Amino acid sequence: MRIVTVVGASILAAPFFIAVARAQDAGANWRDVETKYIFGFTEGSGVGLEGEKEFSLDTVARMGKAGGRYWASETKAEFEVTPNQYVEIEFGPFLSAHRIKDVPDLDNRNQMAFGGLFGEIRYLLLERTQGQPLAVTLSAEPEWRRIDETSGRVVDNYELELKANADVELIPNRFYFAANLLYEPEATHDPDRIGIGWVKESKAGVSGALAYRVVPDVFIGAEVWYLRHYDGTWFNTFTGDATFVGPTLYVQLGPKMFMSAAWNVQVTGSDVEDPSARLNLSEFSHHRAKLKVAVEF
Amino acid sequence: MKSSYAIAAVLLMTAAAQAQQASLTVTVRNHQFQPSTLAAPANTPITLRVKNLDATPMEFESVSLRVEKVVTGGGEGIIRLRPLAPGRYNFFDDFHQQTTGTLVVR
Repeated sequence: MRIVTVVGASILAAPFFIAVARAQDAGANWRDVETKYIFGFTEGSGVGLEGEKEFSLDTVARMGKAGGRYWASETKAEFEVTPNQYVEIEFGPFLSAHRIKDVPDLDNRNQMAFGGLFGEIRYLLLERTQGQPLAVTLSAEPEWRRIDETSGRVVDNYELELKANADVELIPNRFYFAANLLYEPEATHDPDRIGIGWVKESKAGVSGALAYRVVPDVFIGAEVWYLRHYDGTWFNTFTGDATFVGPTLYVQLGPKMFMSAAWNVQVTGSDVEDPSARLNLSEFSHHRAKLKVAVEF
Repeated sequence: MKSSYAIAAVLLMTAAAQAQQASLTVTVRNHQFQPSTLAAPANTPITLRVKNLDATPMEFESVSLRVEKVVTGGGEGIIRLRPLAPGRYNFFDDFHQQTTGTLVVR
């Protein structure tokens, strides 16, 4: 296990050291930067460049429940286009993976399957200018899911992720702050197969993140997320909340390639059904991680 | 008579809109933008013509202008920019990253 950790850390750290070396060779070049992916799970305001196309593999993994062993991940094969200077469109399928063993209330499972389809549209509401460092983008991401995110069971699930993504340039081309507001209603058809029709739930969240450009091709940072879960589409019944914190990394691997990574740990949470719990491990996981590798063309 | 006034009004508005368009041209020769600094009026749509006089393709790119366009060797490309706020907008050739320029909007 320790060897796997060391190898994994080395693979993640390698692009950083390559970028540092390259910056030292080439001399600093603090060119303008697209902010969308520099904050980890928090999204910046960027909408891409008109005429640009991008393909990426974007994996989000969730690890750790109240007991046993738990791993669940979704990997999006994402195609992204920017048709004009204000709008960005993304779409694609995703793969769903689950490794669950001896977790209370969940069936043991070891599977990988086609998980569903997603789309996203982003609109730049307020653009950054030299006299005005704030930029704001609104986004809507509908998703159809055939594998339940948490349990891995076959379901029929529809979700809509609505976000406001804002960022501020604190030091031009070097240091940024971002904040996200999230509202995510979803509906699942009869998840327990007992004939109860659609089960509706919703999530609300707010995040804050900082990203600092240590060398021209590398940002490091940290973020905090506060998430609340409800039964019902419109925040009907509060069921629990969780606060995540963790580091973020963004590396420009070449003129047309980058990677973005983040690791969040749940540091506090509450569960209405278990008032003594210090974390909410029924609606959220203990850890979550994100890795995105993208190629532009 | 009324329709004549309406046509005249439409023609005037069209002419006014065209008058408010700015047109710029930048040339790439020996992997250098010429001129390397362009000037344009603020809050006015801009048509930017990029002429590539080199034999190899170039990619005009700018994060602040939010545009990217490949121009073949010996070819030219037209880029339509939104009305811009006053400021400096840097651009470069993504295929030859030392090739840089600036659009100054006043």
